[in-house]
Amino acid sequence: MIHDSAIRTQLVTGEKTLHDVTTEICRPIENKPSTSWKVGFVLSVIFLGILGLTLAITTLFGIGTWGLNKTVQWGWDITNFVFWVGIGHAGTLISAILLLFRQKWRMSINRSAEAMTIFAVMCAAVFPLFHMGRLWVGMYWVLPLPNAFGSLWGNFHSPLLWDVFAITTYFSVSLVFWYLGLIPDIATVRDRATTAGRKFWYNFFSMGWTGSVRTWNRYEVVSLILAGISTPLVLSVHTIVSMDFATSVVPGWHTTIFPPYFVAGAIFSGFGMVLTLLVIVRKVMNYQDYITIGHLEAMCKVVMLTGTMVGLAYITEFFVAAYSGVVYEQYAFINRATGPYWWAYWSMMTCNLIAPQVFWFKWARTTPWFIFMLSIVVNVGMWFERFVIIVTSLHREYLPSGWVMYSPTIIEIGIFVGTFGLFFTCFFLFSKFLPVINMSEVKSILKNRE
Amino acid sequence: MSHGHELHIHQENYQFKGKAKTLSLALLIIGLAFSIIGIFTIPRDTHHDAHDTAAKHEVSNHKTIEKNIHGVDVAHSDEQLYPIPVEHAKPWYTRIYMNLLINGYFLLLIAVCGIFFFALQYIANAGWASSLLRIPQAMSTILPIGAIIVLAVFLLAGQDIYHWVHYEHLHLVKGQEGYDPILADKSWFLNTKLILIFLISIPLVWFLFGKYLRNLSIKEDAEGGLTFFKKSIRVSAAFTLFFGFSISILSWIVTMSVDAHWYSTIFSIYNFATGWVSAIAIITLFVLYLKRNGYLEIVSDEHIHDLGKFMFAFSIFWTYLWVSQFLLIWYANIPEESIYYYKRWEMPFKINWFLNLGLNFLIPFLVLMTRNNKRNPQILTFVALCILVGHWNDIYLMLMPGAIDKQATIGFLEIGMPLFFAGLFMYWVLTALSKKGLIPVKHPYIQESAHHDVGV
Repeated sequence: MIHDSAIRTQLVTGEKTLHDVTTEICRPIENKPSTSWKVGFVLSVIFLGILGLTLAITTLFGIGTWGLNKTVQWGWDITNFVFWVGIGHAGTLISAILLLFRQKWRMSINRSAEAMTIFAVMCAAVFPLFHMGRLWVGMYWVLPLPNAFGSLWGNFHSPLLWDVFAITTYFSVSLVFWYLGLIPDIATVRDRATTAGRKFWYNFFSMGWTGSVRTWNRYEVVSLILAGISTPLVLSVHTIVSMDFATSVVPGWHTTIFPPYFVAGAIFSGFGMVLTLLVIVRKVMNYQDYITIGHLEAMCKVVMLTGTMVGLAYITEFFVAAYSGVVYEQYAFINRATGPYWWAYWSMMTCNLIAPQVFWFKWARTTPWFIFMLSIVVNVGMWFERFVIIVTSLHREYLPSGWVMYSPTIIEIGIFVGTFGLFFTCFFLFSKFLPVINMSEVKSILKNRE
Repeated sequence: MSHGHELHIHQENYQFKGKAKTLSLALLIIGLAFSIIGIFTIPRDTHHDAHDTAAKHEVSNHKTIEKNIHGVDVAHSDEQLYPIPVEHAKPWYTRIYMNLLINGYFLLLIAVCGIFFFALQYIANAGWASSLLRIPQAMSTILPIGAIIVLAVFLLAGQDIYHWVHYEHLHLVKGQEGYDPILADKSWFLNTKLILIFLISIPLVWFLFGKYLRNLSIKEDAEGGLTFFKKSIRVSAAFTLFFGFSISILSWIVTMSVDAHWYSTIFSIYNFATGWVSAIAIITLFVLYLKRNGYLEIVSDEHIHDLGKFMFAFSIFWTYLWVSQFLLIWYANIPEESIYYYKRWEMPFKINWFLNLGLNFLIPFLVLMTRNNKRNPQILTFVALCILVGHWNDIYLMLMPGAIDKQATIGFLEIGMPLFFAGLFMYWVLTALSKKGLIPVKHPYIQESAHHDVGV
């Protein structure tokens, strides 16, 4: 038996009944899309078009269309790759770790956060895939026969290959977890369906869900097992992303704190994105009673906590570089803060360490428009973090003859902007065709269930 | 989700007597006896001997340097950027100080992680553990002992233990023989004055936070209401912020600077993980002991199960940090870094190296995998003891190689001293526990804790 203290705030406000939940959350699926949805969707598709165009140019003319050069071999591509992969982490944290910690407030945000994870990983995948240049050749090692392109298998010593495994595992587990959670809700939509098309498709995807005690029992057990599997994934994915850098001997990259620091940063950036999305979703779709100020406040606290953890890691890195007595390390960090890319470093510091400290004040944690602004700041800051790590460490070689500057070309900018098109197109489709809030879980925490 | 069914929460008053008291006193006496035997059996070196060992060490040290971690020969040249430190045999009594340092630091970590445990319950707004908060609160009272031991060892034997303290006293300038550019470069941080400020102020602030939070909780028992609870949340948040930064500094000072040439950015988090998982293991042991003696009526298998999950999860977390540090250093294979592991991979530390992974990872991971084991008091006790021995060994492995290297060995002293401190810890914490009510009866979440259920 579960007992909730009287001083806890209600997770769902507005005295909802079970029926209210169903009708309100199924509303967007069962009605014609609103004008704001249409406008948003068309805009996203336009940006998706930019992605298609810039990727086509990249494929036709080669990586030379990007601003990479002999020293800065990784620039926007990997910055954006890490940026998007990181964003995905909040979804997994909410769905898996918060489930293990029995945090019930996750129930009205997990669905959209998990969707965000999946779309973010898709956006991330664009960059390394197209960085391979001839994508079709790069795919060869998956089915390495005939062995006409050198070694039979991929280089298992390389963290880049570990990344391939880590991210595909992550993507598949997240997708399965998300879909599993959707099944009871899809069945609800099926049962309410009035048109033949809706009946057919939702019937198909509900996989014969009956809602019997036995199915529910199994559903809960599988959820818990998947949560157990996903929990190490939250750590492993960004750990391995960090090892893409940290296994090298590049000053500023080779540092042992990278694994936990990247994970904290990923959760930080992910919650930034979740807040960006949900502040809009709750307003536009009128879900203020489900995604309450209490939810926003809890997420702001996570942002503040992880932001400070990331800040501690920045300071640790800086301190240890100074302490190390290694001139290359010391130079790498001084160069970050005072070199030609100083503006990127200080943007990172301001956005990630200083800005989230406003969440110490209750007003800041409970004012949606302010949270929205700050979530954008967090997104920007975390993008800059990856830019700082990648570009400032690379643009100064051991030999000064290799010292160069890097700036992105219009094609690279186009790909990055385009991935937002991909992300939001997916998100708009999701918000139209699937229940944005997990109905069955939210029903379990309603106060009046009679 | 009901509010209707409220249990009546009785206050309990723990009495420290019987077997627990006998055991703690026995541990104190046996530990002391072993330590004394240990002290008398440390090989004393005459001046001549000391010189001899020093020479031997120089030779073995060179051998170490010539091979990197993969066993590949590393080229030597006279223009080497970093001079090889020539180690001298430490005075025989350094081993005693080292043992004090290991145990004192372990006590300090456990005590401060005890504070962090209950601070965390407040800032996370968690209810399930509110019935067992008095245990970490009592653990926090031993913090001054750990802090004083660490400080005393630094003051009395800093020269012998910390390479850089010794170096500082030589006052060498550039060009002089024995000048060490790395240590000279670190003197802005590694200098006795600054370190003493940190060594005194950080534990003091921790202690004050712990004392204040404990008092708030105890006052709540008498007066009730939400004032103390709300205040605790704010104070806990402030503590957590301070704790994150200060434990980093303390770990750099006490443990990382023993290998003064070496550095690793993850080291502070790794130190935290060591203390944190040990503190959870100790809380579990106390809960099991109190339950067995009829106390903690509202604490059930459910709470114990959750503590088991914590031990399981944070043992994996510790291993994660261990692997992160080891893998990256092994992979990059930069001699300045890999020397750390090379030293620990040789005798006399090779056994400790394997023990470290066995006790701190394999046993908790494999044994606590199943639900039933996490609810079984005997098995939990076994794993908690493994974790405690394992993390003592972890700290041994952090400190000994850098300080006295080949002079280190596990003898009577190394067994006696932890036993002595275990006895002291039991005696101290159980006495603290007996002085105040055992249950925070008016904690706003006490009913949640009394009704706690882990679900599936």
